[in-house]
This record gives sequence, structure tokens and C-alpha cells, in this order.
Amino acid sequence: MRKRAFNLAMLLAVMLLPGAAAAQDQAPTVIAVPPLATPENVATAAGDTGLLARYVADVIASDLRSTRELVPVGPANARVYSYPEATAPSFTQWRTTGAKSLLTGFVQARPDGRLTVACYLHDIRGGREIERKGFVVAPEEWRRAAHRCADAVYAKLAGRPGSFDTRIAYVAESGAGSARVKRIAVMDSDGTGHRYLTVGGATVLTPRLSPGGDRLAYVSFAGEQPHVRLMNLETSDDQPLLPGNAMSFAPAFAPEGSALAISIAERGNTDIYFLKPEGGGIQRLTTAPGIDTAASFSPDGSQIVFESDRSGTQQLYVMNSDGSNQRRISFGGARYGSPVWSPDGERIAFTRIAGDGLRVGVMSATGAGEQVLTTGPRDEGPSWAANGRQLVFQRSDASGRTGLYVVSVDGGVPRRTVTPQDGSDPDWSTAGAR
Amino acid sequence: MMRRAFLAAVALLTLGSGTIVGAQVLRLPIPRIGPRGQPPPPPVTIEMLQADLVARSGSDTVYFAGSGHGIDAGGQATLVAQARWLLANPAIRVRIEGHADELSPRDFALAIGERRADAVRNFLILQGVPAAQLTIISWGKERPVGSGTSPMTLALNRRAKTVLMR
Repeated sequence: MRKRAFNLAMLLAVMLLPGAAAAQDQAPTVIAVPPLATPENVATAAGDTGLLARYVADVIASDLRSTRELVPVGPANARVYSYPEATAPSFTQWRTTGAKSLLTGFVQARPDGRLTVACYLHDIRGGREIERKGFVVAPEEWRRAAHRCADAVYAKLAGRPGSFDTRIAYVAESGAGSARVKRIAVMDSDGTGHRYLTVGGATVLTPRLSPGGDRLAYVSFAGEQPHVRLMNLETSDDQPLLPGNAMSFAPAFAPEGSALAISIAERGNTDIYFLKPEGGGIQRLTTAPGIDTAASFSPDGSQIVFESDRSGTQQLYVMNSDGSNQRRISFGGARYGSPVWSPDGERIAFTRIAGDGLRVGVMSATGAGEQVLTTGPRDEGPSWAANGRQLVFQRSDASGRTGLYVVSVDGGVPRRTVTPQDGSDPDWSTAGAR
Repeated sequence: MMRRAFLAAVALLTLGSGTIVGAQVLRLPIPRIGPRGQPPPPPVTIEMLQADLVARSGSDTVYFAGSGHGIDAGGQATLVAQARWLLANPAIRVRIEGHADELSPRDFALAIGERRADAVRNFLILQGVPAAQLTIISWGKERPVGSGTSPMTLALNRRAKTVLMR
């Protein structure tokens, strides 16, 4: 027994030492995610705490499994530990698993009817705790606590913010052709907590969540004129953004506050405007003849990337957010549309339009290093995850059916996000707040 | 007969709401409109007018190349004929509906649809059609014709349609 443990330790050392350098860039980290513990099995509105402890681990493992950097093991077939071990794990036992990290925690019913969900991240080799998080939530909100545990683990081990406790707004589609019914829907980024925000009477497009996550801008054909509307998600108040009968579309929130950029089309000419819904006037940012649209703010709000056909074909341009210093950044020989600035400000995702169809790609914010990430032929409308590592986009098949897919900016095969109906125009909110 | 109907009407009023029983008892003659023995003439529907526009102009739709909004010679001939029809029917209001193909991303599709509808509107105004008779809308790529992504389907969707309104 002693000898076996020694051999195992040697084996681990051999495995881990050369990996230590590689772990900086490529090799994924194995993390054990056993079921959480509970101090006492208590029935709650969302089920027994013992059951929830297992579900929370399921969600955390599922979140981490979707990343490149981490490989979760469990909670199925993982060693089950007792409540006191959540904070003081038996590291000698865990070392035999070969995992580098360990996530433990507990779910506890509180006297006020809510839950405490706590999670602890340990370095197994070092035998020490390296992160801890605790959340007090309503029993029905246990899933959010799990996502935030996963966010904390990812941030600690991958060195970047996680994006598991985030939401995706999109357009749910049903029916075919001209009779297609479109409704705005919003869901947690793992597909749970799904709800519809519009009833389907008028065609709706391009939902965009505000930075605080409390408002939603979108385009509606209600009244048979496309126009931007603003919905308050807490009160369900829903109003046109502009008075009058102008054709407005392509809303984009500024990263802070309540300001938006929108496009207004008039007399065959589309331009980008900046406005604050609470008043303060509307400012026209582009004046070139032709189509200037699809604005997206840089994360510091100082610049806007947009799409213009002023050169004769659709290309990407950057300007200061007051409209000054407009310059073209795309020179890849195709047409480009729907640009979106990454959360770290370094990159711009786009739709590339060529004879062989629509594809999603990324380039640096200066336009250099263009990379196409998807195979098409009908992939469009990318939106960044908060961690800047993934994009969600819309893929249409030959019969016009649509779905939402997630692709890593490092490449790889896009993964379909499960939605109750067809889905298009995704917007991955960078706001965790609900 | 009249007496029964009268009683039924009284019963209905008394009950305060039309019950099934009351409705079955109440059998009043259906009034006829028009000359005796002749059915009334069918009203002219907007669909019939639209069909007339198509018959006399060749088409109610013009098509565009690529991501452009230029109207080619065939499209211009169609619009000249449409203008003649519209001038002969000044009471009919018109909505020009611009569309884009699937190769246009969502926002650009809305913008180019507006631009195409505006190009048709300008052409009709140059032919003498009063501007007040014409409105435009862009459907972007939200009202596709046919399904599939063949070059033919894409070409059929790059269009502006002259739609007659009540």
C-alpha cells in the first residue's frame, strides 16, 4: 500500500513536472468536482438540500466542461465526502485521483427559507484552499449560485473572468417563410430559465441587453415600420425609443449608463446616431452618403466600430464615439458586416460575406490578423461572451431554420445551444445582474 | 309568426343576454340589398386592383443586383408602366416594400431594403406620381420569397414591390 502510493506520487510527479511549463498555455487542468455536501437533509421549495447538493455540482461540472482550460471529473462516480470535509478535505485521498484541483462545498437550508450555497477551491498537491465563495439565494435560484461558483473557479484557474452566470437574449422563431413568428426571449447562458418577452404579434429583431441587465433595446415592426423600442425588464414597460415615424434599427448600448447608438434610415440614406433616452438630444455621428449601420462600442466607450458601404462595398470602420476620426479597418478582400467589439477591447468579431456565403470571424481592433472561425455557409451576427473567449452566433440551414451556436475564438467545432424553438440574433449579456 | 318573434325578442330583452333558445326562436327575414332577383355587384377588392396593376405594368416588383439599389432597363420599363397606372388611379395609396436577400446581415438588410424602396419611390416621382401617394417600408430579409439559398432564390429576394393600399 505504502509502495503503491509512492509509485503513484512518482507517476504524478512525472506527469505534472513537464506539464508545469505547458500548463501556462495549453494543457488543461483536471479538477475533481464531487457532489457537494449538506449538513442536514432538509426539504426546500426546490427539493431536498441533499439533492440540490448533487445538482449544484452537476451544473458546475457542466459549466467547466464547456471550457478549453479545465477538465472536470465528476460528480458521477466521484468520491462522496461528509459535510466537515467540505472545508477540510482529506487531501491524501484526493491525491490518488490524479486531479490537480478540487472543488468542494455545501448546500444548507437557512431558517429564513433561503439556501446557503458555499464552494471551496483547493490545490490538491499543495493541500490548501485557494478560493472560497458563498451565496445566499432563494431555493429556486440555486442554479445561479452554481454558475457563480463555476465563474469563481474559472477566474481563479484560467485567470480570466467566467461567463457562466450570464444571460443570452435572442429571437425565438417558429413557422416558415413569410409566416415566420418571431419573439424576443431571454435565458441563462446554459439554456435554463427561459422566458419570452414579446408575444409574437409583430416581427421583432436584434434584442440588446443594457449593461446593467435591466433594460432591453430591440427592433419591432409593430405599426408596419421598423423602429427601436426600449423595454424595462423589471416593470415590462415597453416604449418606442424615438417619437414620430422614423425608421430606426441596429440598437447598441454604450458600456456605461443609458446611452445608445442606433441607425436611422431616411431617403435611401442610413446613418448612425447617438442618444440618451432620458433626454439630452440626439447626435448624428455619420454623414457619408450610403449605408452606415451596425454600431458597437469599445468597452471603454471611447470608440465605435460600424459597417459602411461608402467605399462601394460593405466594410468595417472605426470612429471616436463623437463621430470624429472615421477610418476603415477591414481590407480582407470580402464584404464585412455586424461588427462587435470584444470585452477586453483587443478584438472585433464580424460576419464575413463572400461568394461562398456568410461566416463568423475575428480580427484585431486595428483590422490586422483576420481569422474566420466558422464554416458557414449561413453564419452571422456574433456576440461575445463576457470572458472574451467565446462567441455566440446564428446559423441558418438551407431550409431557413435557424439556431444559436457557440464557438471558441481559438477555433474548434461550434456547439449548438439548445433553445425551445429556432433562434437568431443572439446577444450575450456581459452583465451578471438580473 | 310575427307574434312569436315579438315574444322571443321580449324574452331576450328580459333575460338580458341572447341565449341559444332565444336565438333559435327568433327567425326574422334577411333583408336583401340590390334590385329584386339580382345579387349585389361584387365590391372591387384591393387584390383585384393589385392584379390589374400587374396585368397592365407587367409586374408589381422590380429586382436588384448584388447589394446594390440601381434599377436596370427592365425594371425601369416596369416602373414607367406602374407610374401610368398610378396616375390613372390617384385615389389609390401605394406602399413600396423593399427587401434584401439572405446574404445581407440583419442590419444591412434593413438599410438596403429602405434604399431600394426609396430608389423606386424616386423613380415613380420622376414619372409624375405625386409623392403624397407613396410611402415606403423596408422588410429587410424578414419576408423571404421561396426557401433555399440558390442564386435564383437570392435574386428573387433582392426586390422592391409596389403594394396598393386601401
